[in-house]
Amino acid sequence: MGKTKIKIDYSKCGPDGNVDPRDCAKCLNVCDPCVFLRHEDLKYKEKNIYDPQHWKITAIWPSVCTRCYKCVETCPENAISIKW
Amino acid sequence: MCKWCMKHGIGQKWYMNAKNYSNQLADEHNLQEYLTEQWMNFEAVYIRKIAGLSSKGLGYKLQMPVIGKVLRWAVERMIHGTIRHPNPIRADGHIGQVIPMEDAQIILSELAAEPIVETYCMCRKMQRGVNYQCCINFGVLSEVLEKLPRFIPKERAHRISREEAMERIEQHNKNGLVSTVWYQPYPYINAICNCESPECGALRLRNDFDLMIMSKAEYIIDLDQDKCQGCKECVAMCQWNAIRYIPSIKRVIIDYNKCFGCGVCRHACKHDALKLIPRKEFHGFNGHF
Ligand code: SF4
Ligand code: SF4
Ligand code: SF4
Ligand code: SF4
Repeated sequence: MGKTKIKIDYSKCGPDGNVDPRDCAKCLNVCDPCVFLRHEDLKYKEKNIYDPQHWKITAIWPSVCTRCYKCVETCPENAISIKW
Repeated sequence: MCKWCMKHGIGQKWYMNAKNYSNQLADEHNLQEYLTEQWMNFEAVYIRKIAGLSSKGLGYKLQMPVIGKVLRWAVERMIHGTIRHPNPIRADGHIGQVIPMEDAQIILSELAAEPIVETYCMCRKMQRGVNYQCCINFGVLSEVLEKLPRFIPKERAHRISREEAMERIEQHNKNGLVSTVWYQPYPYINAICNCESPECGALRLRNDFDLMIMSKAEYIIDLDQDKCQGCKECVAMCQWNAIRYIPSIKRVIIDYNKCFGCGVCRHACKHDALKLIPRKEFHGFNGHF
């Protein structure tokens, strides 16, 4: 199996988007093998865990993705795209 | 006996050594500060770079011929780090082992330093997006976590007595969760997690990428083939898929290579067919951690 590439569009969810991944988290919930990680964006020098702009989703373990497409179908913002 | 026991267990299991739990040890290494820094930044631990590479796509990176080898070496060196001044924004010296319920209860009744707290699991929080109260922390780490509101449960009190902690461990094990004990950082022990796969970060690294962050228990399961009635109840319990039902012989078989010795499957068996035995007494699996 070739590499799976999973991309999150941060203009729709996370730092520059209008969805706070801490409220939504639908992708984390729906992905059986737990491909996604919800974490703080490292680009901010000053930490502020209460600022929604500081949180984002990264598809951290693409190698365990089963290509079931549930995340793509579930994401309310259509922020996830998968290619291989 | 694994290499950490040899070095720090004074001839017994490493997690049975009272010295590794002491407040004095925590003070000596200034761990209050270290753990505060580490837990404030916990979710970002995979994103930070190790040997110039982040963990993103770790599975693929480990498959690369040269970089894969270097990365594996760097990650394992970090996890097994015994340096005096570990780096709080990484997982330095964060080594653990699976333990059965009984050992976890001995730790909680006799060895763990107070206060004992049961907080939300960080791994489930960052990988599954759920708040699940099952991580039992003690000593200095308890005080650190109490200052970080996102780990403090709302549904139930988080400070628990030794007796409550032992009860909670029993419930978690019966519920199918695997107890694991952790250096954080080496040589200070301050947590018993109750893990599941694939949410748990340690199980992920060990199961999917074969990184030695967490070793198998000092025990292994032993199936009494004559007692097994083939009810299949145990199959659903194993986080490692080590048990399978075979229709033609109407009983289960165990894949001993996969068994981590957690003992969770025992709780499902009403026919007393599953027992934990010391790993060193099991031919062929002595020393396989
Ligand atoms: S396609 Fe399926 S397995 Fe892959 S990331 Fe999406 S939900 Fe997870
Ligand atoms: S499902 Fe979509 S919008 Fe929701 S957290 Fe995941 S990426 Fe963001
Ligand atoms: S078979 Fe081994 S790993 Fe699986 S639940 Fe039983 S003791 Fe744990
Ligand atoms: S629960 Fe016990 S009796 Fe039932 S299949 Fe498993 S080992 Fe056999």
